[in-house]
Amino acid sequence: MLDANTELIAHLLRRAGFGANRQELASYQSIGYEATVEELLNPREEQRLSEYLIRRFHPELSGMMGPLASGENWLYRMATTNAPLREKMTLFWHGIFATGYNKVIHGKALSDQTRMFRRHATGSFRTLLLELSRDPAMIIWLDNQDNHKDAINENYGRELLELFSMGVGNYTERDIKECARAFTGWTIANREYMELRSQRDSDWPYGRISWHFEFHPEDHDEGEKEFLGERGNFDGEDIIDIICKQPATARFISRHLYSFFVADEPPVPEWPYTPPADQNAIDTLAQAYFEHDYNIGEMLRVLFNSDFFKAEEARYRKVKSPVELVAGVLRLTGEFDRPRYEILERFSQASYMGQILNNPPSVEGWHTGTDWLNSGTLVERINFASKQVGDATKPGIGSMVDRIASEMKESSSPEMLVDACLEEVGALSVDEDTRRVLVDFSARGSRGGDRQHIADLLQMVAATQEFQRA
Amino acid sequence: MTTTQETDFLVYDRAVGMTVMEGKGFYYPVDTIAGNDDRLYVISRSKEETVRGIRVTMCDLDGGYYGNFGGYGFGGGQFVWPACGAVDSRGRFFISDERLHRVTAYDPTGNYLFHWGHAGSGEGELDSPSGLAFDSKDNIYVADVYNNRVQKFTAEGEFVSVIGAEGPGAVSLPWGLATDGQDNVYVADFGNDCIKKFSARGDFLARYGGPGRADGQFTKPASVAVDKDGYIYVADWGNERVQVLDADGRFVTKLRGEGTISDWAANFLSINREEAAARATADLEMDIDFVIDDPHEESSHIEKYFWCPSSVRLDSRGYLYVTETNRHRIQVYRRG
Repeated sequence: MLDANTELIAHLLRRAGFGANRQELASYQSIGYEATVEELLNPREEQRLSEYLIRRFHPELSGMMGPLASGENWLYRMATTNAPLREKMTLFWHGIFATGYNKVIHGKALSDQTRMFRRHATGSFRTLLLELSRDPAMIIWLDNQDNHKDAINENYGRELLELFSMGVGNYTERDIKECARAFTGWTIANREYMELRSQRDSDWPYGRISWHFEFHPEDHDEGEKEFLGERGNFDGEDIIDIICKQPATARFISRHLYSFFVADEPPVPEWPYTPPADQNAIDTLAQAYFEHDYNIGEMLRVLFNSDFFKAEEARYRKVKSPVELVAGVLRLTGEFDRPRYEILERFSQASYMGQILNNPPSVEGWHTGTDWLNSGTLVERINFASKQVGDATKPGIGSMVDRIASEMKESSSPEMLVDACLEEVGALSVDEDTRRVLVDFSARGSRGGDRQHIADLLQMVAATQEFQRA
Repeated sequence: MTTTQETDFLVYDRAVGMTVMEGKGFYYPVDTIAGNDDRLYVISRSKEETVRGIRVTMCDLDGGYYGNFGGYGFGGGQFVWPACGAVDSRGRFFISDERLHRVTAYDPTGNYLFHWGHAGSGEGELDSPSGLAFDSKDNIYVADVYNNRVQKFTAEGEFVSVIGAEGPGAVSLPWGLATDGQDNVYVADFGNDCIKKFSARGDFLARYGGPGRADGQFTKPASVAVDKDGYIYVADWGNERVQVLDADGRFVTKLRGEGTISDWAANFLSINREEAAARATADLEMDIDFVIDDPHEESSHIEKYFWCPSSVRLDSRGYLYVTETNRHRIQVYRRG
């Protein structure tokens, strides 16, 4: 059976990463829980599958002319990095600042946005909002290229307040207009040509050309504005300064972090009407936001070291998103130790389960928690996980099977074999019903180190409800 | 290592091709081979999400188009991850497949002849075969990428010998290959960021360059070519440039790319006038304050620059063909 500390670190790695196999857990265990939190927050030099190798074998994951490449490239990173929290936070921001290919029609611009999220994943929220406001994919997604001095377009201003920072009920319609005025002239370079190519999905003549931000002072409204009770000759940067110091912003980001890392909250549109499940936790995180100059990493440090995160009742309460599930399985299989043709098929599996990276259903992002599950997606999830984790030809699974086989003896009980399998896939704890089924199955096979039986049992483990949750 | 550059050593001549998924054009081209009549065979790798785009396009320097052959599949004459090509003394065209672990031969007009090779790490087996080069006796060298070696076969696939597998000449993830007039073998040593030279007998002779961005240094070189005077042309892929070394490995010059509108692209823009008009208003060479110091990123913004130059090849007239995978074109240079 697993000891409490192992289970706690496994919980941390499921939430702050994509899970960890037995060997990774042993490594983290040797430094302890608090040091593991620090390692996740401040990873040493990142090791992962070389970007050069990915580009060399998959030109599309470099040139990114189509809708899938930026996500495939990202999946490689999630599946192989030793700095998983950075990718998890990148995914977190993508879920909030949801930007989609169906309108942007420029894979490289979306990949550039992902890289921006990664750079600022655990830094200042102010910096992140500023970079977001200058991000070419976001500008096109929310039409800020059409936000002119003499004819404002409110889209970005509205979503910045409603979905990206404060939430409904904390500002007025006038604030939205004033906010939009402050972002006039924030556009992309060569706008006419780039927008036309995007609208026509044109790769011609020589593939995609990356986008970059451009400020047009002649199209910027320099007039006085009144925003959230303050008056001045504000530009976008001033607006972000005002937004960041609002208590509503602190609560909004805190609730998002709580929902992503601790327990699912209802979708954002319901927040004005539904109080948080744990108001004290939100208050604690909001306090950290202000105490540390809006630094997200500091908020995460508080979160991961809190009792509300470590609590037994917090564990396995979250349903893994499809991408989290796929990335976690691929980390176990170790299949992508080199670029492989199959990356597209693995990436596509997440879409069958309801999530296409860089193509959220709307600006609201994805609805999470049990909304991920229906009869169709659940079958896809179980089939995918069990097929991959039960395949001992995959290097990671083969190593697991070898280790378990070497430890099992003729005298080993079915329970011991179940425990060994649960430990190998990341110190998984299962309830009594699940355990009984696994032990029954284990007892039907031969004792000792029958590799096929071990692989079959791993396949069963991957089909459990606990494996589908984090 | 001298860093004096011969600025007029190579002169930009023209661009060939454009992005087209089928027919007259290229789709993520990875290599261009000049056949014995200087007909160009351009290998398009395409992308995994479609079976379209993947093919060999036959064309010439002046915009002539002679059709396509090959395509996605596992059968004879088909390929999945085509990588590099080579032509033997009889004009037969050979292509490597990094996914099917084999080499396929066609006649000069693209009719399938035969293929050989299978996956493995033993003698004569292949794990992602990539670069190809013939010697004067029509033996073919194959960059055996994940086996970290170069193998020599007869054109019909009979194993002859291996080079670069161990010792000071050991290669790592080799990509492009070339031979010179003395049948010396040059390897673009992707993993070691250098070019390695071997004798016809397989003895390690020299190493040129090393990791870095300075003149004479390389980042993940993709391809190498050698002219009759011994000048060595390198697709310095990770640095998004082409470098030229002299026969002793001294830096001569470097190119960043000067791509212009090809005949085929001009034709496209003459038909799609709205796009041509919008393009005419755009500044595609603007100064940009990049967040990241990364040539790959620069090339993604500046269209004339090389973007993923995967292949450098010479024809009998001395033209240098630089195949840019991400720009779907070939930039052509000639000696100044």
